[in-house]
Amino acid sequence: MFVLSIIKDTVAVHPQHFGLPPEQAITNELNKKYANKVLHDVGLCICVFDISEAGEGKVRYGDGFLWYKVSFRLVVFRPFASEVIVAKVKSSDEDGIRLSVGFFDDIYIPVMWLPEPCAFDPNERAHFWLPGSEAKTAHELLDSATDDRMYIDANEIVRVRVEADEFYDDEPGPPKATDGVQQLHLENRRAPYTITCSIAEQGLGPVAWWKQAEVETMDES
Amino acid sequence: MEVVNQRSALLSNYEVLTLLKELESDHLAKTRTALRIKKEEEAAGLPRSHAPQEEVLENLRTIEVEAIQYLTADYQPTSRQSDASITQLTRNLAHYDLAKAEKLQIVNLAPTEAVELYVIVEELEDRLGDKMQDILNTVQASLSDTASLEGQADAEDQEMYHEQPAQLAFSAEDVEGWVDDHDFVHEEGNLEDAIGDVDEDAE
Repeated sequence: MFVLSIIKDTVAVHPQHFGLPPEQAITNELNKKYANKVLHDVGLCICVFDISEAGEGKVRYGDGFLWYKVSFRLVVFRPFASEVIVAKVKSSDEDGIRLSVGFFDDIYIPVMWLPEPCAFDPNERAHFWLPGSEAKTAHELLDSATDDRMYIDANEIVRVRVEADEFYDDEPGPPKATDGVQQLHLENRRAPYTITCSIAEQGLGPVAWWKQAEVETMDES
Repeated sequence: MEVVNQRSALLSNYEVLTLLKELESDHLAKTRTALRIKKEEEAAGLPRSHAPQEEVLENLRTIEVEAIQYLTADYQPTSRQSDASITQLTRNLAHYDLAKAEKLQIVNLAPTEAVELYVIVEELEDRLGDKMQDILNTVQASLSDTASLEGQADAEDQEMYHEQPAQLAFSAEDVEGWVDDHDFVHEEGNLEDAIGDVDEDAE
């Protein structure tokens, strides 16, 4: 789930922090800049792991800051493709299930990666799995007895496999002069980093499903 | 800003948790000292000092608290793991023909049932066959039954952590082979924009 990334950057330390040991001041500045932010194609930054190299602090003309060139290692949340992680169901809708790991919640399971046969129950606002059923269409599935359905409820702990991740860089860019004065925020901004997961596999899905499951169930499939 | 290597090493959940807990305790200690100094000064009737107070890093605190919450949740094995037990586990797992990424996931998820292991290890039966139960037993042995020893174990763990910070770090090359044709190429232009306005102060 977590990786170390090596990054080079230039940081400025404000004179009010000159009392601190330089490495502490630099780490604070880096954490302020990176922690809890998504770096494009890198992942969600957690915190500075350590500083591997730092140049001498230099004062530039115009401000009293000390500028350091540093190279440091950052703890980043970036599960690799095919990694298995544990997450909590945040919500469900017709398109799929949204998961959360507490500090990050742009994790989705699209309908195509739910176990077959599966349908969305609008009354319960949850997807359910009907193992061993012959029914094909959502209509037939919704006719089944409620007791046979295996629901994936909100707040349930699920084990999922990471299938893909995607980064979006939606910086609006400079305003266009032709568009007049006021620009409306039309589109909903996409999340900068989303992870797509799957539970369409034996052993994946709500952890409770597989607690007491025997290996035999594996062979049937 | 320049990304030198996006994935220089992999970290296990336990390592991240240890690091975050260290940050958390540092933060608590600092807050406490600051409070104490303030009280002492007030008691001595001194005028309010203008000693610079260290600012609270909001974003860091948020992610720190939320990540600790996730990593110590009761469905995670971290509360039953210790530094020594993980070192021992990785050493034991070296006997089996497992990829680095598979070992990392075994450490992170601590599978104790065959179904869980099937998910982590590809083609489990062909590759390992009867050794499967051995692995499960090894994992089970690495988990302590209770979390009661946590407190005292923690102090030791943190010391060990200082001595060998990257000892458990898995090398990234093995994973890139494993994560086939995943696109790791980064475009520097986008990187500059990625964290937006905070970046404009770079020289």
